[in-house]
Amino acid sequence: MNSIIGIAVKDIKTFFRERGTLFWTIAFPIMILLLFTAIFGRDIPFNANVGVVDNDGTAMTASIITGLNNTGFMTMKEFSSQLEAQKELNATTIRAIITIPQGFTQSLLAQHANVSLVVDGTNPDIAGLIKGGVTTFFSEFYKQVNQNYTEPIKVYDETFYVGQKVGYKENIVPGMLTYPLLFSSMVVSTGAIVLEREKGTLKKIRAAPIRPLNMLFGKTLAALFQTAMSIAIMSVLAVVLLGPRLNWNLPLLIPIFFLGSMNGIALGLIISCVGRAPQEASNAATTIAIVLQFFTGMYFPIDYLPTYMQQIGRVIPMTYAAQALRDIMIRNATLADLLLPMATLAATAAILYGVGVLLYKRWVEK
Amino acid sequence: MIIEVENLVKHYGEIKAVDGVSFSVEDGETFGLLGPNGAGKTTLMEILCGLRRFDEGKVTVRGFDLVKDSYKVRGSIGFCPQETLLYDLLSVRENLSFSASLYSLDSKKFKERVDFSAKVLGVGEFLNRRVQQLSGGMKRRANLAASIIHDPPIVILDEPTVGFDPAIKREFWDLIRNLKSYGKTVLLSTHDMHEADEICDRVAIMERGKVAALDKPRNLKETIGGRASIHVRVNASQTKRALAILKEFNGVLGDDEIEISANNPWETMTEVSNKLASQGVLTEKVEIVEPTLEDVFMKLSGRRLTEDSR
Repeated sequence: MNSIIGIAVKDIKTFFRERGTLFWTIAFPIMILLLFTAIFGRDIPFNANVGVVDNDGTAMTASIITGLNNTGFMTMKEFSSQLEAQKELNATTIRAIITIPQGFTQSLLAQHANVSLVVDGTNPDIAGLIKGGVTTFFSEFYKQVNQNYTEPIKVYDETFYVGQKVGYKENIVPGMLTYPLLFSSMVVSTGAIVLEREKGTLKKIRAAPIRPLNMLFGKTLAALFQTAMSIAIMSVLAVVLLGPRLNWNLPLLIPIFFLGSMNGIALGLIISCVGRAPQEASNAATTIAIVLQFFTGMYFPIDYLPTYMQQIGRVIPMTYAAQALRDIMIRNATLADLLLPMATLAATAAILYGVGVLLYKRWVEK
Repeated sequence: MIIEVENLVKHYGEIKAVDGVSFSVEDGETFGLLGPNGAGKTTLMEILCGLRRFDEGKVTVRGFDLVKDSYKVRGSIGFCPQETLLYDLLSVRENLSFSASLYSLDSKKFKERVDFSAKVLGVGEFLNRRVQQLSGGMKRRANLAASIIHDPPIVILDEPTVGFDPAIKREFWDLIRNLKSYGKTVLLSTHDMHEADEICDRVAIMERGKVAALDKPRNLKETIGGRASIHVRVNASQTKRALAILKEFNGVLGDDEIEISANNPWETMTEVSNKLASQGVLTEKVEIVEPTLEDVFMKLSGRRLTEDSR
């Protein structure tokens, strides 16, 4: 048997018999998935109080307010003036204010109308959902009035796409599939090398007439397999438990999973070589993975994060994987749409893996 | 010569762990490196196995230069370190299979070697058991089996019986003798003088990174260890009288025994026994005590071999 395959087979067998590793790579993400399902896995995750100031006062604006109320996730509260509504917003009794200007109905008939929306940004998650919900509602409403509509409300980049109902579960599933790329691949690859150091078995491998890189390739192969296992199990559970309406475009998903895993594995490799003691390296990998998950948009789109956190997130390769997975699964992205994230992930994987190999060789020679 | 080491030097910072060591090992020989902990034995062995770099000197194994032909050298050696390098969660067979993969063994050869391990090293009875379920002795045997799964001509054993009880130690010595009978060259390190004496054809005594002496154990004992001695024990009430009778033999009282140094121990022992018997002194014990490698080491270093090794 080839030494690379031999190392991979040995690692995979050990993986299935090592309860700690199995927990972190399969059981823990499943627990997280179940937890998020229990909390957010409903069709309507929350209900927000939203103020409305109707300065037009026509039958049409009245029907708009009724329509907003009927969405079920917003309870509309009417105010006679902007000032009055603003006071309520400041008191946090409402989350947002929709202001319908005077002459709105006439402008709408002339195919040009604006509505202003002020959202409490304290909770970016809720703010994003309100922006998306209001935008979608008005878009749908305008469609009924005139097919050649223009968007009446200017909101930030993050909007729900017309024609596809996107809830939290549709957002969380691609995010949760990023989990194995970060946790499983990184923790597994760190653990695989750390274990050899700790047990002294690295000595046995190094005494054999094989190149140092063979060991790395074998371990990479095993980590890829283990990550793929984790992704597969989580995907099946997500479908069974949540039933999200997602696009499972495997020809596009697999390259993202592969490149994301390679980034995680390379990070794990670097950590295992930099850590002075095996336990230190292992703890570092787990800690880094726990911290990174909040910056990568796993649990919510990165745009919901405060700006400085978004900037941190944008230098983490896994963020691009999470975004690409959402683009494929929610927004039906094509290969052309994914060229940039794919290129980014491939470049970072190559750089990180290269650094890992150099560190490993230096460490072995030391 | 299957292994040749010339003026090998290895530093760890300021410390010279191996200091100009030279020796050679013959094909089929069991060669021992005897010395206390910190003498440089393990470093030397790890250098031979390609696990450590060295600063000066030259090493050839089967004619291959250790540096230039590292892969050929490593393929010729089966290295069994003192710690058990097996994966606890895998069975012995799976561990052997993994080791075989490191040497690209095909399935036919692997099966042959597993049969060999079962027959010669006695691992057959626990081949399918996980390592974590094995006793210490079983683990060591499995460890040795994994180290030589590729049928190397040279087997390097670092402190192979450290921590063993005497019975298992003897069992392991038999395994090493078995390897020799299969034509293997064995290089082992030990701080156990009995082990070196029992199983090594030649022994290099190492002290502070240097080879202090190198020869067959018997020659070392004869040339460096000093003369044999006769130990005589009589009834405690007659000890003083016996000491007076044996005055011409320059006997000295040590503990509860009279010790007499002898060039010709068998002849002296007969003379001593006869003399005491003729004077009516009953002996409880009369025995010849040969010099040991411990004595050799003490003569060379001025300290006991076991002082640092427990």
